[in-house]
Amino acid sequence: MIGRIRAIALNTFREAIRDKVLLTLIVFAVLVMASAKVIQPLALGEEQKVVQDLGLAALTLFCVLIAVLVGGRLVYKEVEKRTIYIVLAKPVRRWEFIVGKYFGLMTVLAASVAVMGAAFYAILLLTGVPLSAYPLIAMVMTVFQLAILTAVAILFSTFVTPIASAVFTFAVYLVGHLTRDLRLLAAMSPSPVIKALSQFLYYVLPNLSNFNVRGEVVHGVALDPGALVLSALYALVYAATLLLVAVAAFSRRDF
Amino acid sequence: MVEELTPRPPGPVRPGPLVGLLPLVVVIWGFVAVYLLQLAIDAGGQARQREKAVEEMMYFPSGRFMRPASIEYQVLAADIVWLRAVQYYGYHLMTDRKYEWLGHIFEILTELDPRFIGAYHFGALTLAWDANNPDEALQLLRLGMRRNPTSWQLPFDAGFITYMLTRDYEMAARYFRIAAELPGAWHVTQRWAAVAAGRAGSFEVARDMWLEIYQGTENRRIRELAVRQLRAVKVSQDTARLQEAVNRFREDRGRLPVGLAELVRAGYTVSLPEEPYGGRYYLEADRVRSSTPARERD
Repeated sequence: MIGRIRAIALNTFREAIRDKVLLTLIVFAVLVMASAKVIQPLALGEEQKVVQDLGLAALTLFCVLIAVLVGGRLVYKEVEKRTIYIVLAKPVRRWEFIVGKYFGLMTVLAASVAVMGAAFYAILLLTGVPLSAYPLIAMVMTVFQLAILTAVAILFSTFVTPIASAVFTFAVYLVGHLTRDLRLLAAMSPSPVIKALSQFLYYVLPNLSNFNVRGEVVHGVALDPGALVLSALYALVYAATLLLVAVAAFSRRDF
Repeated sequence: MVEELTPRPPGPVRPGPLVGLLPLVVVIWGFVAVYLLQLAIDAGGQARQREKAVEEMMYFPSGRFMRPASIEYQVLAADIVWLRAVQYYGYHLMTDRKYEWLGHIFEILTELDPRFIGAYHFGALTLAWDANNPDEALQLLRLGMRRNPTSWQLPFDAGFITYMLTRDYEMAARYFRIAAELPGAWHVTQRWAAVAAGRAGSFEVARDMWLEIYQGTENRRIRELAVRQLRAVKVSQDTARLQEAVNRFREDRGRLPVGLAELVRAGYTVSLPEEPYGGRYYLEADRVRSSTPARERD
């Protein structure tokens, strides 16, 4: 079982790193980070903050785009090109196929974070910002956010076209960062229905703001290790649950 | 056989060497046209481009709206507003010295990134001295202190503004004492607390404080502000010192000196101080004045 999942994951990884979309996004991310060098002289004594903010934001945004754009095509492409028949004709169960795809894409994302992270530190060196290990925490939390988004992308990929999947996944990403605000707004509403609905959505939708610690990291504010561990657990449980839904959706399809 | 009878269809016309270049030429001209059009668009209001970029910010209802609108990139959005704030300040410093939206910009900025201490610091000093609005500056600092209770910089700035501008020395001393007890506080804070408690509103204290502000910042604009204030303090100090000498001269001799040079000759002052704006001090009736008009000082 593990061998089969690993084979699918490895294959997904190989396929993805040949994808021009991935390469383009990584190059863009590095260019955005490097633009800090141009902005630096305008920042009036806040260079360290601006360079780090820009680098970490670029890393997160472009990894989210990779998860959305590459993840949204994963399963659909196999069905479209009929390669799924070849895979499923072999003794591979459907759930193993989905899980293998998921781990393959997560490996791609972890590798992208590693490459962009290296670029981030190179730019800190180039701009003379003192190095610290603290931004690594923000990068790790980004990987946990990607764990949820990748599961969302794969879930959509099992039943809609790549463009629709990308749009839906990005919508989930936006809403996932707004749930806290929505709940605060709904708390002011006089209607109990709206209050209950917002509570329900707050707990059902992924709360992605859990994973944004970049502000704390850049300002050097101490982070609560307990909260970080809970957020990581949250990501794992949420992603596993979504994968179960994706497997169920995929199993119902006729090939 | 058939092949031989059927006339051969004409082969593809071989394009001349220039035809292959045609698409390239069209693309280049396309970009040239776009460039010219953009020039024409910008010519309409080139001088106002920078100002316009900042004025857009007044349409933002508040930072509370900006927060969710910037998804998870609030801190980066704050940096963009920071760059614009710096531009806005620089533009008005060079032109009309009106800073109508400065407070609003810093409100948005600190709502987006409540821990951005540099923004409170710069915002408060420029609001207090350039926009002549110490109340708004103190409001911004108090907001920052609620959000960052462990930052010494904010109560320090509040103490500085309270001491220099609103001149509530007791309150200023209280702010300085709060700052002095916070981690990493600047070594001068304790001394300033004592000075403020002694209510010594002298030129020397003002000069020392601005000197220390100057030395304590990497922000070029704050340094410039400190230099402007140091010059202003020097003019006030020189004028006061010379005025005092003139008064003593009149008491002793029962007449005014013919010019300030007579004060030096008569030994009432060692030398005439240099006027920091490149002008000179002179006597108008019985008042000592600087030859640089107020609007040209800096």
